[in-house]
Amino acid sequence: MPIRVNPKLIEELDFYGAEDVQFCYHCGDCSANCTHTDEIYRFPRKSMRSLQMGLERKLETALEPWLCYYCGQCSSQCPREADPGETMMALRRWLIGRYDFTGIARRFYISRASEVLAIVITGLLTGIGFVLYGYFLGNLRIYDGEGAFLPSSLIHTFDLTLGSLIGVILLINAFRMWRLTLYNERSVHIPWWLYLKWIWLLPFHFFTQKRYAECESQRATPVFMPWIIHLFLMLGYVIMLVLVMAFIEQLQAGPAINWKVHIFGYASAVGLTIGTIYFIGSRLRKRSEIQYKKSHSTDWVFVILLTIIVITGIVQHIFHRTGMPVAANITYILHLMAVVPWLLRMPFSKWAHLVYRPLGMYFAGIRKDAILRQEKKEGILVPNPV
Amino acid sequence: MKKCKTGVYICMCGTNIAKMVDVEGVKDQVSTLPDVALARTYKYMCSNPGQEIIVQDIKEHKLDRIVVAACSPRMHERTFRRALSTAGLNPYLLEMANIREQCSWVHEDQATATEKAKALTRAAINRVKFHEPLESMSVDMSSSTLVIGGGIAGMTAALELAEAGHFVYLVEKADHLGGNLARVDLTAPYLDSARDLIVERITRIRNNPRIEVHLGSRVTGVKGYIGNFEGSVELVNRLDNILRKPVEIKIGSIIVCTGYKEFDAARITHYGYGKLPNVITSFEFEKMIRAGRIETKQGKTPQYISIIHCVGSRSQEFHSYCSRVCCMTALKYAHELKSANPDSYISDIYIDMHAFGKGHEEFYNRTSEAKTLFLMYAKNDKPVIRKAGPKDDCEMLIEVNEKLSGEVIEIPADMVILMVGMEAREDSAEVARLVNISADKDGWFMESHPKLEPVATTTDGIYIAGTCVAPKDIPDTVAQARAAAARVLAKIAKGKIDVDAVYAEVNEDLCAGCRLCNVLCPYSAIEFDEEKKRSHVISALCKACGTCVSSCPSAAIKGRHFTDQQIFAEIEGVLAL
Repeated sequence: MPIRVNPKLIEELDFYGAEDVQFCYHCGDCSANCTHTDEIYRFPRKSMRSLQMGLERKLETALEPWLCYYCGQCSSQCPREADPGETMMALRRWLIGRYDFTGIARRFYISRASEVLAIVITGLLTGIGFVLYGYFLGNLRIYDGEGAFLPSSLIHTFDLTLGSLIGVILLINAFRMWRLTLYNERSVHIPWWLYLKWIWLLPFHFFTQKRYAECESQRATPVFMPWIIHLFLMLGYVIMLVLVMAFIEQLQAGPAINWKVHIFGYASAVGLTIGTIYFIGSRLRKRSEIQYKKSHSTDWVFVILLTIIVITGIVQHIFHRTGMPVAANITYILHLMAVVPWLLRMPFSKWAHLVYRPLGMYFAGIRKDAILRQEKKEGILVPNPV
Repeated sequence: MKKCKTGVYICMCGTNIAKMVDVEGVKDQVSTLPDVALARTYKYMCSNPGQEIIVQDIKEHKLDRIVVAACSPRMHERTFRRALSTAGLNPYLLEMANIREQCSWVHEDQATATEKAKALTRAAINRVKFHEPLESMSVDMSSSTLVIGGGIAGMTAALELAEAGHFVYLVEKADHLGGNLARVDLTAPYLDSARDLIVERITRIRNNPRIEVHLGSRVTGVKGYIGNFEGSVELVNRLDNILRKPVEIKIGSIIVCTGYKEFDAARITHYGYGKLPNVITSFEFEKMIRAGRIETKQGKTPQYISIIHCVGSRSQEFHSYCSRVCCMTALKYAHELKSANPDSYISDIYIDMHAFGKGHEEFYNRTSEAKTLFLMYAKNDKPVIRKAGPKDDCEMLIEVNEKLSGEVIEIPADMVILMVGMEAREDSAEVARLVNISADKDGWFMESHPKLEPVATTTDGIYIAGTCVAPKDIPDTVAQARAAAARVLAKIAKGKIDVDAVYAEVNEDLCAGCRLCNVLCPYSAIEFDEEKKRSHVISALCKACGTCVSSCPSAAIKGRHFTDQQIFAEIEGVLAL
């Protein structure tokens, strides 16, 4: 059965940032240079071709975009300036939209206005909700304990609810990702125990982001900074997530500093601050590393919100500890107004990489093993379905 | 036979000859021969001092025959003939013995090479005795020119000649000028209007009193030779049904610019041309653009348009050659389609993208910028077009094994444009016979040398230009037309045509009028005099090949400078050991 070409897809991908893919004339220099391409997963050229031709079915089955960590080598030496690196990035954005069952991700990528509007509305609703709560049930002059404007028990419940909601959305989307990439693709038979054999890939890649570093190691002058910073940032998130979800009541208590909890908070804040400053700087300078030369509008929303969160978070902490509960409460509300839309946006944005990247590595490991097994068994070359 | 005084010069050619041929030995042997007044060896006979030796000897020793034993006459016969002329001797009293290409370069044994050199030199000495002083003639050059074909090539050549002040007969079979270019809307890669190119030229032709345009006419007969052709031009597309007498014209040169015709797309059955209504040829699409309405046969604006390259070209079954203009024309269509309807999706199904000319690669870049989908197929794995099902949002589906992805894909299409290649016109063989030029297996007219003589033919005074030679684009066609015109202008400027003194002659007393030679002559240089019932060689056309001489049953034809006597003497010289 021939595969149907969708000539419209290439225009759709414009919204996701693949603006130069049409220039590619398939010399294959990009694939030849890529650190991560191997005998099973051949990219970026093949992915570029599928995109040019609008082979949707192949693209949504693809795991290749998750294997690319955008070192930018391919883009910097592309003779046609077709920007394969950014094309892979665009494909990741497009895939996030594909996996997302709510359709919100797609909407955000296609229309910047809708995203900004959704963030503003969520932020305002959060603000109004907490202000009303505090106005009727609390006292602006009290930060913590009895009669607090925003009691930590309330925040805890709120956090857990929010976390569960995001967790459920992500779980459903992860399931959809599995169905599209592994389950629906029947040409490769996957024995169930392969899922167990490769399960270690999930935590391994989640915590080390080893492939990001591998990208750099291939360069003539490796720049490990983005990888280390990225790791800092990511660990910062995780620590903060654990603190907020489980230890918010200890965290909010005070004004005395509870070192047992706060030491982690400070560590996380340092990581987040360094990360935020570094990435804003890179995107503004647009020169240090190729992956920061182009910024999708959604990338900017992410860093701007993050900046607000980091600043308000630190400031409210200082206000609180130095005995200025009113100022602390006000900055806390501002902090929450940025945190809530930022968190809610997670499954629909680049933040979802946190989940899809390790999953992508996990699934890719399984598929590769399955293909090699099948080849050995049947004695023929089994083409990667993508 | 009067005694003659022959000078023999044996060249060493540096060591080229001397290392294998004992030149002194040759000299010593031939010195003893009767009729040899002197024999010399020299390092480089062709050098100025070498030639000077010959000149001095002729003057001092009153030599009347010269033999140079050196390289091939193709290399230096002209040089030594000039030396004879300088010394006041008729240049045809020279004979060369080739002791380089035929002796030193091909032999490994010095003794045998020397023996052979002796034999060849002797043969030349024997032959030169019978050489006659010959005078080359010159004929008048008519300054009028006949241009056959009124396309861009013919019009350009005609204007070039007429604007240089010479008379031109421009004969066009159709009833209007412009040729195939008149069927085109815009030109690639700069998207200039083809109409502007043509109209300006037609106006200039119409206003030029030195160009006589014969529309709806064809050339029915050509006689004569360079400088002095006679042609007849007949009306073919007569509307009034009145028989008119052919126009007789006298011209000095002929430029053939008869152009091409497009490949018949119906010959490739799996493209469905003629069966699927929205599969059209590139020329049908040009018509559509010129009319300003791009729509399917059902009157809808097509959303998906596919352009298939190399229809009839670069294939084993049809034509093996590349038609050269279709790639850029296809890109031009992509531009025109996209600007007519920005919501349309264009796929370009090609074998290789040939973007070789000035501005072509840039044009390809611009087209890919417009998100044209380029799909590559293999030469022997052509796409197949079929009607789409009721559920599809398109008219047709094109199935193709796409090379760059390695996938068998199907492309939706509402309209398919077949880039039909160029083909020699059906009457090209007839035209070739008319003006006595040759055509290759595909019917394209042949140049006398593909690289060094791109517009000349094997018949002097007949030139070819444009797409009757091979597929080419407008700039190349115009360049060729102007080159042909320049060749004609050079001949006109000289005023006279030199005819080589070496040609065949018919002895009318011996000729029986059998006309065998008339058909055998590869250059159509022999005409039959109906009154005298004798054949007659047109010396200006004769290339002295000798075919008629050897074939004449009455031995009535003599090849000047290649008489029987000369040849026999040469043979005897070789054999007289």
